[in-house]
Amino acid sequence: MAGLELLSDQGYRVDGRRAGELRKIQARMGVFAQADGSAYIEQGNTKALAVVYGPHEIRGSRARALPDRALVNCQYSSATFSTGERKRRPHGDRKSCEMGLQLRQTFEAAILTQLHPRSQIDIYVQVLQADGGTYAACVNAATLAVLDAGIPMRDFVCACSAGFVDSTALADLSHVEEAAGGPQLALALLPASGQLALLEMDARLHEDHLEQVLEAAARAARDVHTLLDRVVRQHVREASILLGD
Amino acid sequence: MLQKREKVLLLRTFQGRTLRIVREHYLRPSVPCNSPLCPQPATCRNDGKLLSSDVTHYMIPDWKVVQDYLEILEFPELKGIIFMQTACQTVQHQRGRRQYNKLRNLLRDARHDCILFANEFQQFCYLPRERGESMEKWQTRSIYNAAVWYYHHCQDRMPIVMVTEDEEAIQQYGSETEGVFVISFKVPASGVSSEKEREGDRQTLKQAPGSEPSAQSPVWGLNSGTVRYDLRQSQTLTRLSHPGAPAFSFLCEKSECARLYLRLERGIASLQSIGPGIYITIWQFSKTARTKNKTQNPLLHRPLFLELGAVYLLFVWCFSLTYLIPGAGLVDFFSLSFVQDFRVVVRIDSWESTSVYPNGHFVRVLGRIGDLEGEIATILVENSISVVPFSEAQMCEMPVNTPGNPWKVSPEEEQERQDLRETHLVFSIDPKGCEDVDDALSVRTLDNGHLELGVHIADVTHFVAPNSYIDIEARTRATTYYLADRRYDMLPSTLSADLCSLLGGVDRYAVSVMWELDKTSYEIKKVWYGRTIIRSAYKLFYEAAQELLDGNFNIVDDIPEFRDLDEKTRQARLEELAWAIGKLTDIARHVRAKRDGCGALELEGVEVRVQLDEKKNIHDLIPKQPLEVHETVAECMILANHWVAKKIWESFPHQALLRQHPPPHQEFFSELRECAKAKGFFIDTRSNKTLADSLDNANDPNDPIVNRLLRSMATQAMSNALYFSTGSCAEEEFHHYGLALDKYTHFTSPIRRYSDIIVHRLLMAAISKDKKMEMKDNLFSNKDLEELCRHINNRNRAAQHSQKQSTELFQCMYFKDKDPENEERCVSDGVIYSIRTNGVLLFIPRFGIKGAAYLKNKDGLVISCTPDGRSEWKPGSLQRFQNKITSTTTGGESVTFHLFDHVTVRISVQASRCHSDTIRLEIISNKPYMSPDTELFHQSSLLLKSDLVKEVTRSVEEAQLAQEVKVNVIQEDYQKYCQTKGRSLYMLLEEIRDLALLDVSNSYGM
Repeated sequence: MAGLELLSDQGYRVDGRRAGELRKIQARMGVFAQADGSAYIEQGNTKALAVVYGPHEIRGSRARALPDRALVNCQYSSATFSTGERKRRPHGDRKSCEMGLQLRQTFEAAILTQLHPRSQIDIYVQVLQADGGTYAACVNAATLAVLDAGIPMRDFVCACSAGFVDSTALADLSHVEEAAGGPQLALALLPASGQLALLEMDARLHEDHLEQVLEAAARAARDVHTLLDRVVRQHVREASILLGD
Repeated sequence: MLQKREKVLLLRTFQGRTLRIVREHYLRPSVPCNSPLCPQPATCRNDGKLLSSDVTHYMIPDWKVVQDYLEILEFPELKGIIFMQTACQTVQHQRGRRQYNKLRNLLRDARHDCILFANEFQQFCYLPRERGESMEKWQTRSIYNAAVWYYHHCQDRMPIVMVTEDEEAIQQYGSETEGVFVISFKVPASGVSSEKEREGDRQTLKQAPGSEPSAQSPVWGLNSGTVRYDLRQSQTLTRLSHPGAPAFSFLCEKSECARLYLRLERGIASLQSIGPGIYITIWQFSKTARTKNKTQNPLLHRPLFLELGAVYLLFVWCFSLTYLIPGAGLVDFFSLSFVQDFRVVVRIDSWESTSVYPNGHFVRVLGRIGDLEGEIATILVENSISVVPFSEAQMCEMPVNTPGNPWKVSPEEEQERQDLRETHLVFSIDPKGCEDVDDALSVRTLDNGHLELGVHIADVTHFVAPNSYIDIEARTRATTYYLADRRYDMLPSTLSADLCSLLGGVDRYAVSVMWELDKTSYEIKKVWYGRTIIRSAYKLFYEAAQELLDGNFNIVDDIPEFRDLDEKTRQARLEELAWAIGKLTDIARHVRAKRDGCGALELEGVEVRVQLDEKKNIHDLIPKQPLEVHETVAECMILANHWVAKKIWESFPHQALLRQHPPPHQEFFSELRECAKAKGFFIDTRSNKTLADSLDNANDPNDPIVNRLLRSMATQAMSNALYFSTGSCAEEEFHHYGLALDKYTHFTSPIRRYSDIIVHRLLMAAISKDKKMEMKDNLFSNKDLEELCRHINNRNRAAQHSQKQSTELFQCMYFKDKDPENEERCVSDGVIYSIRTNGVLLFIPRFGIKGAAYLKNKDGLVISCTPDGRSEWKPGSLQRFQNKITSTTTGGESVTFHLFDHVTVRISVQASRCHSDTIRLEIISNKPYMSPDTELFHQSSLLLKSDLVKEVTRSVEEAQLAQEVKVNVIQEDYQKYCQTKGRSLYMLLEEIRDLALLDVSNSYGM
């Protein structure tokens, strides 16, 4: 079999989307009552669950407490059944640790940590099914969970991945497209200000094309923001009905 | 709004485990349908190419048809084809990249009336695969469903024909929807027909659903039969490779009755590795096979000459076909005369592991064997050259130039271009009778005392817009193909011979390069590039220009421009022109000397001359002393090319098209050095300068051919010059070894080379870049340009091959009618230029033929010479030395052949039905050929060349005429007596029987 054609001459991707189109996004907030905040998101077939505790006192060693702001603690894990072949370890491997670190950087940039000095915010994210763009799904889920927890943030954090195939930038890569091995980039955006919370790419891409790919990812992230915003408003409306206002 | 579906795939991993993969699949309400009948073109977003509106029906091939018969669908006569995405994906998965790219190119090509419909992404066309449904069934079902949707989408206004090979599908869907016909690909109505037959097809279509097709008209096998070889003879394969030609049998699966006995000369076991989907040119029913070209692996890139196995395959396969097609009249259908004595193209569809022979189908007839047109068509197919006449759409893009409505310089262009019509004396120098004048020259003295040299090239890009139909066609052809007796133009003659041709006395657009030179030192001070308008004052030919240069004004009467002038103006003009030519020659000499200083090579090899020839005439033999004007013109062109190369490289360092000539490997020169040593010369090959010098020194005063042979050997040791894109090479690799220039490109012949068109566009873009004007965004990126370069290089190679082959063809046809024993012309002088273990390679200067002569014949006898030089065959042995070969008979006589010895050879033609005929050389004396007109040879050779072509052409025409008369008579007879054409099955079987009984030694004893 010949190598898969990621972008046909007619401009269709393998799964029938066009270059700039996102996968179907569905999300729900407040899925767990016991946690301070929680959210569930589906981006295509990538499914992630995020739970937030805090802000609360520092657990464990007090020495970790920061005098001027809150400590953001992120943990990433992915379920053993999330991939096509069963995984050995759900968390604690190198990839998970790195992902946790990236999430922490992202949210330290977004949460107004200086409002809660000497305290801790825990964000736990679990990927239930991985089909490409796990980082983006995690960030989007965590944003909703943080919002659900009522922790003050500068803005939504919306993330999306983008790749580059046949001199065209593709937004929101699926697993098939990621596996093909082209350059890909993950971007977390604060949509209102247009600031970047995180930008990560570890493949080689010619400088001339970078702008194009960045632009595609940013546009996709703004689209994600529209959707997440809708989800939050829906959730608030439902909650207010329950409260009987 | 997209809809999401999920596809579940079960894949087997390499470890053997089953992997469940879930993939998303998004459907959308509208995908481009690209039909002119579409009711809402806005929602469909039909922006690509549309199907033409004048077809009677759309044709949708089933996946299997697309997979196996793509080249039938490639026929330009077939219009209104809709390829379904499902079918295309099958091709991609089953047939691999190569075949899929062919399909993609077909879809992209604006000249083919076919589109792709993305049915799997359309929400009403997509059908999920059901549990337990086989892949094939699902694909057929999807395609049918999409066809029905498409029919309704076009508001039932256009009938749709789905062609398939699947009998079940015909049964199932054939009469399900009105207006969507499902018919078998075997029925001629499906679209194998040409335009003329279309009307008839419509009638067949109407009765097609349900009823059995009545295939009375001959369809030559758009189907594959299976041939298996009898495995009872398991040693056959090993025996095949034995030249003794053993008999072996195989039988035809479908008809147990046919058992054929064949004789084979060479094994074809190695050919089994061929995958499906390769063109095969079949070279007739024959028992001989070519033994040359063992080293080349022809399987991959070129049409393969399948040796007899497949030929017989076709034979048997056609035979088995008769059993496969129901209702086809056996006698009617299979008539050997279709293929017998013809060269045909067949395509291999598959090659089963149990079969010695591949399965294939017949594609088209090229022509009769030995017939000039047929053989030329074969050469074209061999080199994959396709030269259909220019289409109407392409001709529509051409500017009008008729006597009633002549083409004029437009005022807008006059504003933008520099006008040189009044200020410059522009003239062109070309061979006599040349129509497509690419280049013109000018030279004048400026007011500041400097000289101005101008090279003016036809502005083809003005007429050929990027990505227009004509541009696409020219890009596909890439070059003008020159065969021995004809040429196939890259551009239509409106451009090549008229509007772009810089003819004398008319206004023409040009792209000019002008240098300001110092008056005495000819140092280049300034250079200007730009678009101009010129009016060539004189269209000179080389001989006339040379006469003028030599101060011989008698030639004036041959120049039409001077005819109607009075004596005084004529004299003044003549002097002006002669001064210009003289000055040009001076400058050219100077530039040349500078290049020689860097080590430019003068490679006057036999092939090289043709390759570097700036003229359009073909001659592989150039007169000994080329005129100096030739060099002057060539030098000016080289200078222009060089400066343009510099310019475009500076402006576009990553996407300029240049030409490189890589330095050769030293080890390839070893043969040359040894040959030269045999003659007492020393060749220093360390650099191009030393090589050029030592080649100049290696001149035998008694035998001028030695130097020519040495030069041609040096050429053969070198690699070919190639086009490349500057982005894909390091700068030090740009060097042109042969011309000793650091940057070189082709700029001066845009009428006959596509590369020059690209360079023109680059130069124009560079100029507008300099002027800070906005650039038209139509330049190729490095990647595209690289691909294009590869294509052009490929086509150039094909052009060279076809030219060489056609020359050989003419040589063969020339000698075919001659009786080698008696005809004086068949005996000639030959020079030995290489030694082999069982023979020598000879060069025959008179005809420009190179070939091998054996010193040991097939019976194992060696050559020996009587004292007076006559040769005869005697038992003995050969001994090969470095520079000579000695043949010793058992009687003790011995004769030695040295390198560069002159011998007398007899030229005859070795006829072959399988391949093209070849020239055979036979040494008849070891003394140089003595004839009363030896001295005349060199002068007559050129003349003889064109005479040869003329003579052959004439005799062919006569033969054709005679044949046509005969055919007409026979056809009348047929009509009169209502006889079936061709032979009966009985006769066929009889023939096979004869074949089996044929005496083995009989046909081999030649």
